[in-house]
Amino acid sequence: MALIAIIDDDPDILDASSLVLKSKGHDVVTATNPKDGLKIITERKPNLIILDVMMDEPDDGFFLAQKLRRENIQTPILMYTSVSKAIGMDFNKSEMVPVDDFVEKPISPDELVAKVEALLNKVEEKR
Amino acid sequence: MSDEVKKDCILIVDDEKGLRIGTQRLLEDEGYEVETADCGEEGIRLGKSKEFDIAVIDLRMPDIDGLEVLKEIKNTFPNTICFIATAYASYETAIQSTRLGAFSYIPKPFTPEELIYQVELGIKQRKLILEALKLKQEREEQLLELASEKSRLNTIIKAISDGVLVINKNIELVYFNYAALRFLNIQDVKIGQSVVEKLPPEISEIIDKIIAKEKILLKTYTTQIEILPNNELIIEAACTPVPNPDGSLAGVVIILSNITQFKKIEQIKSQFVSMVAHELKTPLAAVQGFINIILNDSLGVDREKQKEYLSRSTVRLKSLTDLVNDLLDISRMELKTKQREIEDVDITEALKSTLQFLEFEIKKKEILIDTHIEENLPTIKADVSEITRLFTNLISNAIKYNKESGSIYIIAHQENNYVCIKIRDTGIGMKPEEKDRLFSEFYRAKNEKTRGISGTGLGLSIVKKIVESYYGKIEVESVFGYGTTFTIHLPINQN
Repeated sequence: MALIAIIDDDPDILDASSLVLKSKGHDVVTATNPKDGLKIITERKPNLIILDVMMDEPDDGFFLAQKLRRENIQTPILMYTSVSKAIGMDFNKSEMVPVDDFVEKPISPDELVAKVEALLNKVEEKR
Repeated sequence: MSDEVKKDCILIVDDEKGLRIGTQRLLEDEGYEVETADCGEEGIRLGKSKEFDIAVIDLRMPDIDGLEVLKEIKNTFPNTICFIATAYASYETAIQSTRLGAFSYIPKPFTPEELIYQVELGIKQRKLILEALKLKQEREEQLLELASEKSRLNTIIKAISDGVLVINKNIELVYFNYAALRFLNIQDVKIGQSVVEKLPPEISEIIDKIIAKEKILLKTYTTQIEILPNNELIIEAACTPVPNPDGSLAGVVIILSNITQFKKIEQIKSQFVSMVAHELKTPLAAVQGFINIILNDSLGVDREKQKEYLSRSTVRLKSLTDLVNDLLDISRMELKTKQREIEDVDITEALKSTLQFLEFEIKKKEILIDTHIEENLPTIKADVSEITRLFTNLISNAIKYNKESGSIYIIAHQENNYVCIKIRDTGIGMKPEEKDRLFSEFYRAKNEKTRGISGTGLGLSIVKKIVESYYGKIEVESVFGYGTTFTIHLPINQN
């Protein structure tokens, strides 16, 4: 079982995601903004980070992802996006967005669980 | 035919009285109008006073020589047909007189038939001359018209704000106006010069395509070009082939329009659309997330938790409804299609009813309301629902962003031609950078203190639109951590 950090400014999304992941036996820590997010990541060293795009925040999710990589924190990141399809913006893994996978909101429990398991397995294999 | 209307006019200049009278009578009988002069001087005076069709001038006169008279008349009226009449006919005089412009030479004495025959020839000649003259004049006028038409077209094309550029199939410049050079950032070009190197690649590509086509298609090809970076100058180029009369390609006409403003508006619009999409999708995603969890049997969410998620979903849906209503209000205000009922609005009443409407929220947070409303405050002409909306948005913000058991001060008084309303709270206040963006759509101050306060991000933007629609103004002062004051001035006298 893994420790998963979820960072999203929507408390409802945090609760829903936590419930899904906890039901699969994972431990969950949450934060509602990038600043607190960085804090729980450095303090608790989770196995996986779920990070929302958080377009409303001055330092958004992309910014935090880049910062983590710069500080050489290589924990896999699963990014929550909400409007990429609506505004015709497609994200791809790249230098600009150093994340490992994307989940489009609204979250479907099965998809979330599948993507989380896949990323955790990948980390396991590398070891 | 025209004789009835206007007779041909003949001048007789002769010092011999008998000849004058005889000739006059003879020619008048033939239907001519005749005037006579008895000496050279009189001949010159008459001949210059109006244009005669024919002048018959005696060569030898006591005062002035007939050739001199001829010269003078011809000087003024070169188209008067002149005859020199003389008994002393000589080859030299004949040459000299024709050189000076005489049409012919009549030797004296002459028979009536001879004279009439000569005069008829002269009239014919004069008609030919006048006809030719008329044609020449017409042609000149036409040329003048053409020239002025061309220069008029030139002036029009030079003056239009769109750029016009015409090139031939060798991509040499045929025509241009200054707007075209300005848009394309081209300096120092002349007609006939090749502009291959000077055109932006987007245009060159289209021109190459047009030239490469075997058959001319009368189609316009357009492209948009960023001439200056950062959206400072964007133009649209419309390239249309120009055919020769035989259908082959003569060249290409390129019309350049400045679409910078249009592009900017488009950008603002799409930014707004993506903001709206984001704002709409956020609560939807939360609600759908909860529903997915409840429907997913494998998660085994208990009834209690299900109920909690459903009621949280209701809250999100309520906020979504508020957002949609705010958006509709904003769009109605921007389109000015909102039907207004303008009446005398009592500000005191409007403030009181707003406070009543918000009583529940005020009591829940134990907020103290302190009002100082001037007595007999003048009414303003407005739609009461908009004024109430304005106060509701401001006072509910003052409640939401206040501390527990805080205060709200409401001051209203007349200030010259305005009613001035101040709404002050003892809440969390704003940082200066937050204050600047306060009235923009979807902006919500975000800091450690605003977390957990819900809103559409449109409330103040609606407030500003209402105030401005009544030609009023709104100002905000704020100290972070201590509170915020909104000051509104609404004009009293207005239609």
